[in-house]
Amino acid sequence: MFELLFRYPPAVFLRGEFVLRSPWPKWLLLAVIAAAAAGLALPYLLRPRTHLRGVHLGVLWLLQSLTAAVLLILLWEPAIAVSELAPQANIVAVLVDDSRSMALTEGGETRERRVLDALQGVLRQLRRGFQVRLYGFDAAPHRVGSLTELGTAQGAATHIGASLARLDEQTAGLPVGAVILASDGGDNAGTVDHAVIDALRQRRIPVHTVGVGALQVEHDVELEDVALDSRVLAGSRVTASLAITQRGFAGRRTAVAVRAGGRVMATHPILLGADGQLQREELVFDLAAAGPATLQFTVDPLPGEANRGNNTLTRLLDVEAGPRRILYVEGEPRWEYKFIRRALDDDQALQLVSMLRVSENKIYRQGVKDASELADGFPQRPEELFAYDGLIIGSVDAGYFSPAQQALMREFVDRRGGGLLLLGGRRSLADGVWGGSQLAQLLPVVLPPGEGTFHREHATVSLTPAGELSPITRLLDDPAANVARWRTLPYLMDYQDPGTPKPGATVLAQMQAGGRTLPLLITQDYGRGRTAVLATGGTWRWQMSLPLGDTTHARFWQQLLRALAGPTRGRVIAAVSAATLLDDGHVQLSAEVRDVDYLPAADAQVSVHVIGPGGAQAMLDMLAVPGTPGQYQARWTAQLPGVYVAEVRARRGGAAADSDVVSFQRLDGVAENFHTGQNRELLSALAAATGGRYWNVDDLGGLPAAIPYSNAGVSVQQLKDLWNLPAVFIVLLLLRLGEWLLRRRWGAV
Amino acid sequence: MLGPGSARPQDAGQVTEAPDGAAEFYWSRLRYTSADGDTPRFGFGYGGFSPFSGWSRDYPKADRQFLQALARLTRIQMRSTEQVVDLDSDDIFNYPWIYAVQVANWTFTDAEAKRLREYLLKGGFLMVDDFHGTEDWERFMAGMRQVLPDRPVEDLPDSDEIFHVLFDLSHRMQIPGEQYVNTGRTYEKDGYVPKWRAIRDDKGRIIVAICHNMHLGDAWEWADMPEYPEAFASMAFRVGINYIIYGMTH
Repeated sequence: MFELLFRYPPAVFLRGEFVLRSPWPKWLLLAVIAAAAAGLALPYLLRPRTHLRGVHLGVLWLLQSLTAAVLLILLWEPAIAVSELAPQANIVAVLVDDSRSMALTEGGETRERRVLDALQGVLRQLRRGFQVRLYGFDAAPHRVGSLTELGTAQGAATHIGASLARLDEQTAGLPVGAVILASDGGDNAGTVDHAVIDALRQRRIPVHTVGVGALQVEHDVELEDVALDSRVLAGSRVTASLAITQRGFAGRRTAVAVRAGGRVMATHPILLGADGQLQREELVFDLAAAGPATLQFTVDPLPGEANRGNNTLTRLLDVEAGPRRILYVEGEPRWEYKFIRRALDDDQALQLVSMLRVSENKIYRQGVKDASELADGFPQRPEELFAYDGLIIGSVDAGYFSPAQQALMREFVDRRGGGLLLLGGRRSLADGVWGGSQLAQLLPVVLPPGEGTFHREHATVSLTPAGELSPITRLLDDPAANVARWRTLPYLMDYQDPGTPKPGATVLAQMQAGGRTLPLLITQDYGRGRTAVLATGGTWRWQMSLPLGDTTHARFWQQLLRALAGPTRGRVIAAVSAATLLDDGHVQLSAEVRDVDYLPAADAQVSVHVIGPGGAQAMLDMLAVPGTPGQYQARWTAQLPGVYVAEVRARRGGAAADSDVVSFQRLDGVAENFHTGQNRELLSALAAATGGRYWNVDDLGGLPAAIPYSNAGVSVQQLKDLWNLPAVFIVLLLLRLGEWLLRRRWGAV
Repeated sequence: MLGPGSARPQDAGQVTEAPDGAAEFYWSRLRYTSADGDTPRFGFGYGGFSPFSGWSRDYPKADRQFLQALARLTRIQMRSTEQVVDLDSDDIFNYPWIYAVQVANWTFTDAEAKRLREYLLKGGFLMVDDFHGTEDWERFMAGMRQVLPDRPVEDLPDSDEIFHVLFDLSHRMQIPGEQYVNTGRTYEKDGYVPKWRAIRDDKGRIIVAICHNMHLGDAWEWADMPEYPEAFASMAFRVGINYIIYGMTH
């Protein structure tokens, strides 16, 4: 229809440039049109006594003027200047997505089969004017002789950008006039690199994209993402946040599960939400053994699901053996001290070293490595204090610590990255004059002025909204039950007004005491570390009042102290750019190296030893990152799918080497199962960016005609006359007919 | 061993209870039903009942004099008066350290035995004192077996941590009761040798400290009596203080 009216395919008008072939100047055309319009207005001006109203006269004048303008334009010989590929001189590259997602069946046939069927006719027409090169592609293109060689849809990954880049390299110097790329747009990277688009634009190669596949899969549940910490201590309770979407199963019940080594760690029933809505679910489970843990999260498939491959995601977690050593300084014998120690009895990942002032002349030490540890009291040198991962200050005056020791405690948090917890007590917080100490800046609260903030009165506890989400205060797996559990905990034996939480601090639990609601547990990050205040010395009553065997008290303290000291790292911190590599083994290993005082070490010799599947090993030197002291990097490629463990070792001078371990995994063929709806957005953007066009696989009739109009390859400039377009004559006819009809209607004929 | 910095002057004296008597530590004396039917209830005047019967032996003078020593020699913040606790109420769980005397006479109902067992296994500490000889031991153990049927009783070596948490008490003597002043005997009945014994929990912590064939309570009570030897009183104070510190740290 379009070509019947306009003689040429739409591509001519989209890609061409409008020109006037007449040698007469363009200004003259404008002048003549203006003169004609003026001349046509004269009769209306000179015969004002006609019965027609002014508006009617104006419309008639406009129609006549337009008619005159069209006729005058035709005199100036309008045409379209367009580049056209020279016949039989150019290559058209046709790329067909051969990845696994193209095997999805829709309407009784696979996506790839639909593409191949639709391309049969297109290729037949193209071969009349071009040399057609046919490729299949997944992670890279591979040339095939005919469409019959495609259709396996076995590619484990789709990399549209990489495939186009490879095609660009392979055809450098060849006259490629256009590219046709047929795909569902399910690219692993989710985008096409700008560099690839720039390269195609430089060669002026338009990419016509042919989209296949439903925009939304009708009956499918997809586990979009699983978020959880990348590193935990052995024996930790881990909370994973799962993001789930579904279509066609709203209101249905299913379950999520996490498995490690085939063993089910936890399951959780879920009720599926509305179609297309992102739904978040939590899964809580324990991780006991140290080492890299490969966790498989699965949404139980429902009958009739189109794609079950996107119900499972795998995550790798570094489980550290520890132990984390925590120094607890207590100024007086009290029950909280005893019961905190007992709470950590069964926690192998935490080691509590305590110094208790039992009398004016004795500090009683527990949990020390040997007789020399803390023999001189609280540490006075960085290497002594920085040997610990966490620090608890009980009922001790700030004045008990010298200014140098207070400065050291500040650096312990800020520079060392340790965790500091202050407990309530009669010599704690404001009553211990900590508000005037060097640690006041670190604390998550502004302490109240004056003393008298500690009260030996009962206080009941409850969670805040932030506490409902925190793993520290998660006593029961079910969030609602956990909230209720906190409300029914036995009252605390005492409480202290901790003051006002600072901006940026998080209040996890609160207490009702003396007719007031006060923050109970407040946390915040400070520098590289963390600080917390627990404004009571009376949680021990939970242990004594709850039934024998109840683990609430122990669990709370283990979780609190794990959160306090768990993230504290050593002098070497190893990291990877991505813990899970999907179909691409390129990984960047990085390390942050610090000296004995935890200052950035710019002069370290850093190496990394990678051990992979099948006994694969590699030893790499890591290079210092310019401008960032203490940072080191190395790039490496994991060739095989599987789990890799990288041990980073850093050595300075003659000192013993420090090390850290990080693990990562390469998974091939997994990403292909996700986001299986057609990514039309990506295909359209690619076509638009290169001067091509997006085509639906079911409507490729116009594609062969669009291909020749390209200025890539070997092309010639063509002028297409417009004066003889049927559409022009129809316009002229309509203008005249319209004028006549209006005159009839208004009684002027 | 003192750390740097300065402590506050008021830290030296520790009987610093709140106006309402609230404190961190309460000297808690266990009131129990005696086998001989002596079930005195609180409300008698001091000495208003037989000083030789049941739970209230040496009460309250021994308790208060001991608290004075505890206040002077440790940093524990305590109430200056004793607290009587019973096994017929869950209130006992608010007092994780209890002292019991004349335990040869104690008896428990099943509910009381269960409560005391749970108390000890959850973290409570029991010190028993003032029972002598073979017969007392058997009667004490009859009650103890009701509470902790399967846990062995062991003799504490001098090296045990409980004898070193504050004072080093490797060399201890038999602490006699007041009768020593008149008789010069350090023992009662056939309890010639002091037995420093204990029952431990699954983690090896002492949960019941047993002072058999000795009478620490009398030593505290008569510490101000010129005729009672100072050495016995001093040792009794130190043992009691160590047992409290141990109970508050383990």
